[in-house]
Amino acid sequence: MKGFASGPILAAGMACALLGVGLATPTNATHSKRKPESRIVNFNKDVRPILSEHCYACHGPSDKVGKGGLRLDKSASAFQKRGDFQAIKPGDAAHSEIFARMVSKDPDEVMPPPNSGKPGPTPEQREILRLWVQQGAKYEKHWALIPASMPTIPTEAEVGQKLAPIDAFLVQQLRPKNLSYNPEADKRTLIRRVALTLTGLPPHPTEVAQYLADSTATAYEKMVDRYLSSQRYGEHQARFWLDAVRYGDTHGLHLDNERAIYPYRDWVVRQYNNDLPFKNFIEWQLAGDMLPNPTREMLVATGYVRMNPTTSEGGAIVEEFLAKNTFDRVDTTSTVFLGLTVACARCHDHKYDPVTQKDYFRMYAFFNSTADEPLDGNLFTPDPVVKVPSPTQERRMAQLIATEKSLLGQVSADEVKNWIQIQKPQSPGLKAWEVSGPYVAKNFDEAYDAAYAPEKADQKAAWKPIDLKLGAALSFIGRDNAASYLQSTLIIPESKPYLFSIGSDDAVKVWVDNKLVHQNKALRGVEQATDTFTVQLEKGERKLLIKIVNGAGQDGVKLDIGSPFDRQVQDVKPKLDTPEGLLEAKKLYLTGGPVTASAMRYRDTVREKDELDRQIPSTLIAQELKKPRQAYVLRRGEYNLPDKAVSRAIPEVFGDLPNGAPRNRLGLAQWLSSPNHPLVSRVFVNRVWQQHFGTGLVKTSEDFGNQGEWPSHPELLDYLAVRFLKHQSLKQLHKEILLTKAFKQSSLVPAEKVKIDPENRLLSRGPRFRLDAEVIRDQALFTAGLLNEQRGGKGFKPYQPPRLWEEITFPGSNTSSYVQDTDKSIYRRSLYLFWKRTSPHPVVMAFDAPMRESCVVRRSRTNTPLQALVTLNETAFVEAARSLAMRVLNSNGSDLDKLNTAFLYTMSRPASDREKQILLASLADYRKEFEAKESEAKKLLSVGMLKPDPKYRPSEQAAWTLIANTLFNLDEFLTQH
Amino acid sequence: MDPIRELELTMTRRQLFGRTIMGVGTAALSQLLHASGLGFLADQEDGLPKLGKPRPGIGGLPHFQPRAKRVIMLCMNGGPSQLDLFEHKPKLRELYDTDLPEDIRNGQRLTTMTSGQTRFPIAPTKYDFKKYDNNDDGVWVSELLPHTASVVPELCVIRSMWTEAINHDPAVTYIQTGSQLPGRPSLGAWTSYGLGSMNEDLPTYVVLHSKVSSGDADQALFSRLWGTGFLPSEHQGVSLRSSGDPVLYLSNPDGVDSVLRRKTLNDLEKLNELQLNQFGDPEISARIKQYEMAYRMQTSVPELMDLSKESDKTFELYGQESKTPGTFAANCLLARRLAERGVRFIQIYHRGWDQHTNLTGNLPKQCKDVDQACAALIKDLKQRGMLEDTLVIWGGEFGRTVYCQGPLSKANYGRDHHPRCFTMWMAGGGVKPGITYGQTDDFGYNIVDKTGNVIEPSIETFTPGAVHIHDLHATVLNRLGIDHTRLTYRYQGRDFRLTDVHGHVVKDLIL
Repeated sequence: MKGFASGPILAAGMACALLGVGLATPTNATHSKRKPESRIVNFNKDVRPILSEHCYACHGPSDKVGKGGLRLDKSASAFQKRGDFQAIKPGDAAHSEIFARMVSKDPDEVMPPPNSGKPGPTPEQREILRLWVQQGAKYEKHWALIPASMPTIPTEAEVGQKLAPIDAFLVQQLRPKNLSYNPEADKRTLIRRVALTLTGLPPHPTEVAQYLADSTATAYEKMVDRYLSSQRYGEHQARFWLDAVRYGDTHGLHLDNERAIYPYRDWVVRQYNNDLPFKNFIEWQLAGDMLPNPTREMLVATGYVRMNPTTSEGGAIVEEFLAKNTFDRVDTTSTVFLGLTVACARCHDHKYDPVTQKDYFRMYAFFNSTADEPLDGNLFTPDPVVKVPSPTQERRMAQLIATEKSLLGQVSADEVKNWIQIQKPQSPGLKAWEVSGPYVAKNFDEAYDAAYAPEKADQKAAWKPIDLKLGAALSFIGRDNAASYLQSTLIIPESKPYLFSIGSDDAVKVWVDNKLVHQNKALRGVEQATDTFTVQLEKGERKLLIKIVNGAGQDGVKLDIGSPFDRQVQDVKPKLDTPEGLLEAKKLYLTGGPVTASAMRYRDTVREKDELDRQIPSTLIAQELKKPRQAYVLRRGEYNLPDKAVSRAIPEVFGDLPNGAPRNRLGLAQWLSSPNHPLVSRVFVNRVWQQHFGTGLVKTSEDFGNQGEWPSHPELLDYLAVRFLKHQSLKQLHKEILLTKAFKQSSLVPAEKVKIDPENRLLSRGPRFRLDAEVIRDQALFTAGLLNEQRGGKGFKPYQPPRLWEEITFPGSNTSSYVQDTDKSIYRRSLYLFWKRTSPHPVVMAFDAPMRESCVVRRSRTNTPLQALVTLNETAFVEAARSLAMRVLNSNGSDLDKLNTAFLYTMSRPASDREKQILLASLADYRKEFEAKESEAKKLLSVGMLKPDPKYRPSEQAAWTLIANTLFNLDEFLTQH
Repeated sequence: MDPIRELELTMTRRQLFGRTIMGVGTAALSQLLHASGLGFLADQEDGLPKLGKPRPGIGGLPHFQPRAKRVIMLCMNGGPSQLDLFEHKPKLRELYDTDLPEDIRNGQRLTTMTSGQTRFPIAPTKYDFKKYDNNDDGVWVSELLPHTASVVPELCVIRSMWTEAINHDPAVTYIQTGSQLPGRPSLGAWTSYGLGSMNEDLPTYVVLHSKVSSGDADQALFSRLWGTGFLPSEHQGVSLRSSGDPVLYLSNPDGVDSVLRRKTLNDLEKLNELQLNQFGDPEISARIKQYEMAYRMQTSVPELMDLSKESDKTFELYGQESKTPGTFAANCLLARRLAERGVRFIQIYHRGWDQHTNLTGNLPKQCKDVDQACAALIKDLKQRGMLEDTLVIWGGEFGRTVYCQGPLSKANYGRDHHPRCFTMWMAGGGVKPGITYGQTDDFGYNIVDKTGNVIEPSIETFTPGAVHIHDLHATVLNRLGIDHTRLTYRYQGRDFRLTDVHGHVVKDLIL
């Protein structure tokens, strides 16, 4: 204790102050038994947060040498002798300059400087720093970067009782605070708690009864196992992951069109239920496409890589969005797997964590070479995609293909050839095409109006050959405010009207034999609209002239004349001697030739096959470009400011990829799933803990970096992480946590415990927190008997107030109007909500669901009046109350029995006497009221699609509806407890 | 709320009502609540409603004496053409259909809508401009905005706004959230978080969407523009809607009148109190409070939306469309009522300002939708003595190019997006009235200094004469008494700010 500058009294006061501050508690129980003045300061837990908060912005990892040549995150720099002083002199606080600077009154001297906008360390924090320096100023690597090793489990002697490891770690920290666990919650509470935390739905009353009746020692464990093996488990667990990966059914930016990716969502559900080993869970999602002979499941998993919001806004620059898309992938991957925020390093070296800008762009290089176009084209299935048939669809498709093949095989080649040969052309033939232009005008009007040489009989235009194919778009002008002409000769087989269709960018005029037959002064894209018109043409050769006028930017034309089938027949004539030509001819023969039994069968087969093909969903997947794009450090993170070229690597602080790992996404995945990775398993088990207890062991579950919070129970975190890496099973992890005494405690909140541990970080009481948005909605539907448990598939659209999409969405978007489903889909689980990322459903938004435009691993949990309005008044909640009312009315017995039934469904317990007294009195009042005003009762019973039950009087149903409505709004119903 | 403090409050409450005589306790309580709900209506003085309880913001705020208590932001979504509204460039008339000199364009990146154009022909405005007196050298305003012109002595017109974004989605996300990428809290959410509410019976941050009379509501909005990003969701903007429930799910279900609803709420109160007694969780009392607030909102919102007590004179001021719910004019009138009732941040969206082509066909309609109401809002706030502490902001996400996109004629033309300079105006709330700030070259293309030399502003440092999006945000927060560098939220290990690591208070704009 030599060298202590301040006396024991001050030191003791200090220590007390520290213990009162949140989690500044010693990690080792033995510490607190010592006298306060001998408290040993831990760099990672106590000191680093202070230095990070107050000093690292200038004297930290972001600057190679640090301001004034000083870095306080490196001992060598901090201890360096600088003339007659050292910033930090180990063991000698009195001669460590940092203390003088922190208290200096001189604005040029004081640290942090006044213009930093940051207050300096508090006196308590300075005291911690002082103790640390006195104790030798020992630096440690940031805890989260040191691979977890199996910690020593506290012994029975240390914790005073025989406990499972998790409880032993927890109790070890409770004892010095004179805290102990709450008593175990009653069985009804326990089954509700377990069912909700594992499946996101409450237990059915029969499940409760079954559990209550089971008095064996393993009743609880069996109950946990039952919910772990329920299909609902995967549906609930998937939702947390979908938040993290920002799953949505639309592109997310600008037009926000629908896109095809829900098979990925269903993949996540399926794999949670299969308990896919953690390593595969990571590898398939990041790089399933790069595994040898990837299965469809592995490909679907790579939807993870494609999940970033995308755009195709008119005017968007490809390189800019290549960069932005890639940023988003890097940021999300870092947060969900590493628990590190690297986004800062996009513009400059990270101020707090050891991630440099170069590191950032080397990570970027893993993700910038996928084959998808940076601009999504606003398409539903922007490539690459994979088809994901259901097993039934897959079987049927195989049958249809076989039938088609066999029918084609049965056709005689000679018969086909003969038939093709005798088919007279029905459509005009065309001689070679020629082009003249562009004729550039001052403006669009002029270009359209002016008659250039090709239009004038007395002028000779210059013509060049051009390869125009009917039915295919061709761009050929290349100038703004300009016109070009196309000409050819039509060979008309017989005199009759012929159909023309033409798409043009922009305006168009058409002449036949110098007679204007069509004009349209349009401003449009080739595919945007097609003009169709018929022209009476006489047999023989006719001169065709087309003028296309481009306003600005892209130009083009797309032309068709006559029937496409006829054209295909004529086209195949010269190719009959090739196998491909013959096959094509056979198809045409069966499609449009003589109507035989096998031709009919062929046509039916093809029609069904096409229809089935349309029905089989596709999903966006990742694929790698053959030749990777070169990545550069982008100055200030700007796509158009490339600096040095970089190649793929993980941040230097982590070393290098595992031996033999390829330098691509697969290698990255192998690193993330490697058995000694310091972060990934800690980050995952922490999020699982957060799910069950409401708060993670590291509260900042999105940040395990220097600025993140110190874990409340570091050894426990490591224990769970090490075991998880070994067994690889999320189900096993859940089970071990749920079997603890800690989880099973009652959630009573005794005032004296709140004073010691307001946030319940030490877990001397059971979990208690408001349920998530999806659970609140699903629970109401479930207890009402309305929930439709249809699994997977396209997102559904439930009740939604009118015009929410219309009033904000671009009119040309295919999600600009909301069309509610009108069947039982509206009662599906919230996981399957159609997720429009620029306007998610208002019910889930009211209860803190994220937009899914960016990665979220920890939702906020607010308590607002708007939430009350949802559960009181929203159509689905009122309808659910009606349905629960009917359910209750259908149960036999007195009002009292019925009320108990309602409680059993909603709270998993019967009503208490006081509750009965309150609610039965109200029931009587409601009845009276609705009997007097039956029309009002009928109005209430018309909320939602559900038909009232004619067996019961409207007043009776309405009265019970209000009782159910009350139950749906009780804190107990809305809370995990 | 701090859990310990909440617990103490709970205890007091419990002591007040007593643990065993809950019936009496809750009855008394609900009476109190009921009274306070109705009291809202009863206590009107001078036509002004009494405000509900405030909700505090975060500790230490405001950082200094605010000049504005609230903000009304008029968002012209799509990018209004500064060249046809505020930028008087008479020399361009002679340059009709000549090419924009390369040195003026000077490497400005273009959207891919016009980057393929071989020419950048100058399109002078078709509209006449007039100079109006303000407190400075006067300001030129286009004939399309006659009403706005009438209030220029109140306006602080900034002609040198600039942004880096050149497409709508990133640009509008930038000006609303300080970042081009989704995921950050909006300006209004930051304000709610920092300063709290002045009246908890209404949302702190309200968003209003306007009908566009031309029907061309081109360009999109996104919930993120009034979202909370990583801030707690209670700070998100609440849409006040012109049809159906003004606040989503505000109305009781069909067949349930206020008497029945009150009964249900009383039951909820009693039953939740039982739980509170049993479990002692302060969150339960917080929930009880939210139900009380929801109930009061059911009274306060309809009262707010009811324009029947507004005078004919007021409707004249805002224009007759202000009687039609959902018009921009009606929304401006509502904004004034919201401001009176202590709503902190009000945002009115008007879409359709994206005139790539047919500018002269569309822009007059757009202006007609908003012009009179903008001016009326200023005048109305002023006559009620509220302009001095209400900051009104008008503008879009970027400007438009001097060169033509698509067909050019003297009568009609189109303009592409232009990030290098655009015009916004502010009024009231401690900004200098009747001034203009910043100027641009003869082409309205680049920001120039007083001597006409082109300024190339950088986000890294403050450039006098130019106002970046971040500078605008810093200045707005400053008027609210907030140091933008100190309004931070720790997320993912980083102290996020609205202004990222940039932004400067533009001192020349403020009183």
